[in-house]
This record gives sequence, structure tokens and C-alpha cells, in this order.
Amino acid sequence: MTLLEWRDEFRIGIEEVDHEHRALIALINAAHAHGVGADTVEAALGEIYAAITAHFALEEKDMRALNYPSLPAHKTDHESLLDDLREIMEAVADGHAPPETEFGNRLSDWFAVHFRTHDAQLHRFVAGLDPKGGLQP
Amino acid sequence: MKHLKRALHAFFLRLETLLEAGFGPRLNPLTQLGTLGWYLFWIVVASGIYVYVFFDTGVTQAWQSLERMGRVQPYAGGIMRSLHRYASDALVVVVLVHAVREFAMDRMRGNRWFPWLTGVPLLWFLYVSGITGYWLVWDRLAQFVAVETTQWLDALGIFAEPIARNFLDEQTLSGRFFTLMVYMHIAVPLMMLLAMWIHIQRHAHARVNPPRGLAVGTLAALVLLSLAWPAVSQPPADLDSVPARLGFDWFYLAVYRLLPHLGGATLWALLIGGSLLLAALPWLPPLRKGAPARVDLANCNGCARCFADCPFGAITMVPRTDGLPYEQQAEVHADLCMSCGICVGACPTATPFRRASALVAGIELPDRPLAGLREEVTAATTRLEGPGRIVVFHCAHDATDAALADASTAVVGLPCVGQVPPPFIDWILSRRLAEGVFLSGCSAHDCYERLGDRWTEQRIAGTRDPRLRDRVPKSSIALHWANASRRQSVAAALDRFRDRVRHPAVVAGTASAPRVDDTLVSGPGPRPSAWRIALQVGCYAAFVAALGYFATQPAYTALPGDVAVLKLAFSHAGAPLKPCRRHTAQELADLPFAERSATTCERGRWPVRLELDVDGRPRYAGTHEPAGLWNDGPSSAYVPLVLPAGTHRLDVRLRDDGDERRYGYVASREVTLAAGQNFVIEFDANAGGFVFGHARKAGAKEGARP
Repeated sequence: MTLLEWRDEFRIGIEEVDHEHRALIALINAAHAHGVGADTVEAALGEIYAAITAHFALEEKDMRALNYPSLPAHKTDHESLLDDLREIMEAVADGHAPPETEFGNRLSDWFAVHFRTHDAQLHRFVAGLDPKGGLQP
Repeated sequence: MKHLKRALHAFFLRLETLLEAGFGPRLNPLTQLGTLGWYLFWIVVASGIYVYVFFDTGVTQAWQSLERMGRVQPYAGGIMRSLHRYASDALVVVVLVHAVREFAMDRMRGNRWFPWLTGVPLLWFLYVSGITGYWLVWDRLAQFVAVETTQWLDALGIFAEPIARNFLDEQTLSGRFFTLMVYMHIAVPLMMLLAMWIHIQRHAHARVNPPRGLAVGTLAALVLLSLAWPAVSQPPADLDSVPARLGFDWFYLAVYRLLPHLGGATLWALLIGGSLLLAALPWLPPLRKGAPARVDLANCNGCARCFADCPFGAITMVPRTDGLPYEQQAEVHADLCMSCGICVGACPTATPFRRASALVAGIELPDRPLAGLREEVTAATTRLEGPGRIVVFHCAHDATDAALADASTAVVGLPCVGQVPPPFIDWILSRRLAEGVFLSGCSAHDCYERLGDRWTEQRIAGTRDPRLRDRVPKSSIALHWANASRRQSVAAALDRFRDRVRHPAVVAGTASAPRVDDTLVSGPGPRPSAWRIALQVGCYAAFVAALGYFATQPAYTALPGDVAVLKLAFSHAGAPLKPCRRHTAQELADLPFAERSATTCERGRWPVRLELDVDGRPRYAGTHEPAGLWNDGPSSAYVPLVLPAGTHRLDVRLRDDGDERRYGYVASREVTLAAGQNFVIEFDANAGGFVFGHARKAGAKEGARP
């Protein structure tokens, strides 16, 4: 069962960002599919954490280069995910927390919401449909 | 050299610690010498522009205009002029200390040669600016500077005729050379500004403004000095006498003190040779160089955080080369990289939580890979015991060393604490490898690797990417900046930190994490603020008092009281080696039409022989070769001689035709020289031969010269 599926509507319009989105979804799905013992989950989470951190760094750089006005809110959402992820990692490392469903659902929920809101807004800005980038006039 | 450097190094570290006690790390003037240099430069420029508004360019008007400006508006022009002088003097001090300190701290080696090398011409620009400035006032000191400088320049032998002849005496003085000085005094500082800009080009985030507190303090101290001890002119220049005793600006003019002892040529050789040696210092052994940082494309998505944090501009973002759909990748310029590892600390893939893949960051130091660092921390923390377990990360230049390690302290050395990626701190604390992380760097606001302290503070405070996660308890982290002279202070700070870690209740109780400042264990313990202020005021006062004193004192005796100066001078074309002759009719006919002339002359002239006897004894004899590529230009001479004051019999002889049997021009005169008098004997063929002293004026009036 795949947790998250790439859909064309997730496209931002920045090639390297879309590429990493696809790679991240694949990574999360792979971890979800293989995750059995806490040990593997911990290792998989470590990889996901590194990949997401690097991805956010790149996406934030691109947003900065575009002078994207909603960058602060977008970045705050990134950081809250990283915080959540770290909490799950800690829980897993400490040997409690039901690993798979817990982290899988939380991640996919976050991504679904983030794609629908922040990334969609960024997409509209990149496409020139919303030059204010979601800021109220 | 090695010992000198070590002694200087120890001295500067002590001084830094001492000044920090008064000024605190942020306002420490010793770590702000570069920015103070920029600041003083701007003060000099601003006050200079003001003074220039009222300055008349002219031999007599220059001195008068400055004098009047000081008298009519002491509150504005007077202060501005004093500021102009004292800020220039302060600039010399700041620049020299800056240079010596960068040398002592070994910050000009290897890939850091650029600011050092570009700093050497800055010294020359600085001195030329100051010296031309003293020239403009046209007082007794300016006269001394003009005469000495032109004589000294003549020792270079690059001028066809001695330029010191421009300043023979009052009567030959023209404003022309003087106007040139005004242009020099504007052009050279402009060149200096350009060189200052080049000087800092290789530094990312170069600081050019001092912190406000220091700027205000410096300006206030200089203004107070200007009020208490205004800079004034000495009596107006008078080329008919030689200044004997002069108020002397030792900051700019000390080199003139060496001139009589060493002679012009030797002094040039010393200064030019010294400058070349100075410029070569970065390449002299011992050379130290780590392997440059390396980009690992498999882990680099081009996020540019390393690019943003590199203190030396050694990283650029270039188009992707491996075919992945990224726009950019980081590229390290090996010849700029200092191997400090600050880029590694900035890389988002540098997280120790990676277990499945090898821990390789997008950018790594080959000499200090992260995987090895993680292993070292794991191994070192496994053997830690008891409450208050602490991991100390320290850099290569701070006060910490491996000796601090004990049963509850692990010590991990890095090139710079800026290499520690924030997730490593998160990892150590969340995995409970230790209860506290102590980051020890070399010097607040003066990191050896320039920005390691700043970026580390900001990353941990959460104001710069990569940020330390908010939920990591800041009370379990301490930042400590202490240079290598402060070992005790580190041990004490570590003890305080351990107390805090063991009894978290002392600082806990607040829901939010304390700001990083709260967790920052500062260097010397807090001192009473009155004491600090007193120390600051004392430093400012001592500095400006030294400035004010050495700007004029101790006076320089340029000439003993009981002597006079006699100057022999001429510019005279010797006879042609062969007399010209008329072309024969045949020769004329053979010449191309456009080249026909009545006479033909061979190029080349006889050298001019000049001799002087004083009171019957030979005092000077010299042969002056004709100038020009073909030796067909005029010969010239400028010979200053010091004689005891009193009456002397002077016999001068000159030969300009190579006829060894006789002298074409002979003159004899008995003159009485007053002490300090400047007496000129000039040979002027148009005036009929030798002209003595002021007799030349009459000759000139009669229009004897063409």
C-alpha cells in the first residue's frame, strides 16, 4: 500500500523542488513499506529527516530568490514538521510509540495539508497567478 | 622571528583580555582595529572636506587661510582642523597595530595572503597622504617636509633635474609644485580608499563599521582632544632661513628623523626592501595548510547554505554538472579555502541521525569528516560517568585543551566550533549522550576563522539557518569565547555550566527556552559597571593624550643653533663636445629638402665641473653629467652644505667645456652667515656667472634670464 501518491497538482513549477518532492514521497513510501522493527524505523526516519531538512533548505533558498512574500509562514510550517518528526524519532528511539502507523499517518497528513495550502500558494505565485504570494492587500 | 611572533601573540592575547574587562567583548577596540581604521578614515575625509572649503591654495594664502579659519571659527573650523590631524594620527596607530596584530595572530598565512598583501601599499598611501597634508599648511614644518622630501626624492635619481631646486629660497619658490601637493593630498587618499576596498574583497561579511558605542566614544575623545589642545600651524614658512627646532608629528614624520643618519638612498632601500619583505611574509615558512573542503554531489542539492556562511568567499554556487534536475551545486575554490569547516556546520545533510546511509555531508573537511566526529563523540561519551556529563567542542585557537577531559567531561577538538552542525547538539542532548554541550571558541567578535562565533551564536539562537531546533533546551548549551591566554576562565566557566546542568531548577521554571545570551557563559566575571566605565574612560584618555603629545612633541632639532646652510645650485648646459659647423654646399644639396639646415651639430655635451672652497679649503668638488638619453641636456646641481655661522671666504669655480687647464667661471666673495640662514649661490650663465644670495633678485629683475 502506498501512503502518499504523487499527483501532478502537487507541482510547484520549480523543477528542482518538484524533483525532490517526488523523491521524498518515494522515500517515505519505501520506509512505510519496509518498516518492521523499531531499529529499521529509526534508521529510515533518520534518512527521511536528513532528506527533508535538505529539501526545505533548498525550497527556502528558492523562495528567497523569488522574494516570495509568504516565506516566513511557509518556513514556520517546515519547522513544525521537522519538530514533529524529531519527536517521533525520539519516541521510536526510546522504544515506545507505535511506529509505522503513527509516523506514516502524521507525515502523510502533514504533506497533504502542506501541499494543499503552502505549496499550492507558492505554485500560484511561481505561475504568476498571485503576485502577492497570498499576502492580504 | 618565531620567538618575536610568540611574544607578540601572548602580548596581544593579554591586552585583549585586559581591554575586554573594560569594554566587554563587543566593544573591544583591539578586535575592532579594522573597522576603527575605516571609521577614522571617514572622520579624516569629512573634516578634510570642511577644511578644504576655507583653504586657499597659494604660497602665502595657505598659511593665512588656515590661521584665520582657526581664529574666526575655533568652534567649527578649528575643531575640524584638529580632528583632521588627530584622526589621521590615530589612523596611523590603528593601522600599525592592526598590521602587527594580524601578523602576531598568524592571520596572513596561506590562503589569507590577499588582505595582507593588499595592506602593504595601504601603508604607503597612508604615509604619502599624511606627508602631503603637512606640506599644504606651508608653515615651518611644511617647509622642512618640503625640502627634506624633495631632497630625499632626488636621492632616487629618477628626476632629470633635482626637484629640491623648487625650494631653494623664497625667491625661486613658485606655487606650481605646491598646487601639485593639493592634488596629491586629494588623489592619494582616493587611491587609498580604493585600496581599502580591495583589501577586504576576499572577506565575506567584511565589517567596515565599528559598533556604535566604540564609534561614539572614539569621536567624543577626539573632539575633546581637539578642544583641549587644538592643532595649530607653526610660524609661516620662510625659505631664507632653515627651521632649527620643530614641533614634530612622530606618527607620520618619524622616518625623517632617520634621514640624516642613513642618507636618502639607504632609507629608500630600507623602506622598499622592507615593504617587499613584508609583502612576502605570507609565503615564508612555516607554511600550514589543511586540505580544502570537498563537495559531495550525492548529498548536495544546491541549497547554498555553505555559500552563505563561508567567511572567506571560498564557495560559489555553479550550474549543476551531474545531470540531476538541480539548478546549482556548491564549488570550493581550493586556493581560498581555509579548511575551517564552518561550511560543514551549515550543511543540512550534516545530521548524525542518518543511520541507513553513510554519514557524509554535502560538504566535508577531508581532514575532519563528520562520520569520524560522530564516532569520536559516541566513544567519548560512552565512558562518561555521573551527573553533569558534558561534551566540550573546542576550536584550534581557544583556551581549551584535551587536559580538561575527565570522568564526566569529553573534549572534542575541531578547526572551528562553527563546524559543529546544530543537529549534533540536538543528537547529543536528546540521546542523552551527555547532559550539556559546551562550545568553546577562540574570541568573541574576533574568531580566528572570522565568523565562526557569530554563525554559531545565531544558529543556536535560532536566527540563522541551520537553526538549532526550538525544543532543544538552551540551558543545556553554553557558548564560551576565550582566547588561549585564559585557561583558568574556561575551567571556571565549565564548572559553572556543570552546576547549572546538574541543578536545572536554578534556571528552569520558565516555560520558554532562555535566550542564548542567558546561557552564554561570558569570559571574565561581571565587574562593577563604574569600574568598567572608568577603565574605558582611562583607555580613551590615555590614547588621545598620547595622540596629542606625539603629534608635536618631543620637538625635533633639525639644525643645531650655530650653523647656516649654504646651497649651491645650477641648471646649465655644458658646451657641445664638438662645436657646430656649417653644412657645405654639397652636403646641403645631398640632404633631403625637409632636413636641410645651415649647421650640423653632434649630440653630446661636456659635463659641468663645480668646485667650492670655504676659507681656502676645498669643501665641494663635483662633476655633473648632462641629462638626457643623448647626454645633450643641461647639467644640474643642488648641493646643500652646512657651515658654521660667521664670516667665510667663498671661492667657486665652474668649468663647462672640458678644458682641464682653466675654469670658465670663477667667483670669490666674503659673506657673513647668520645662524639658521639659508644662503644660495646659484650659477646662471644668462646672469653672467655666479650670483650670491639675494643679489640674484636684482639680476632677475633686470631680466637677465631669457
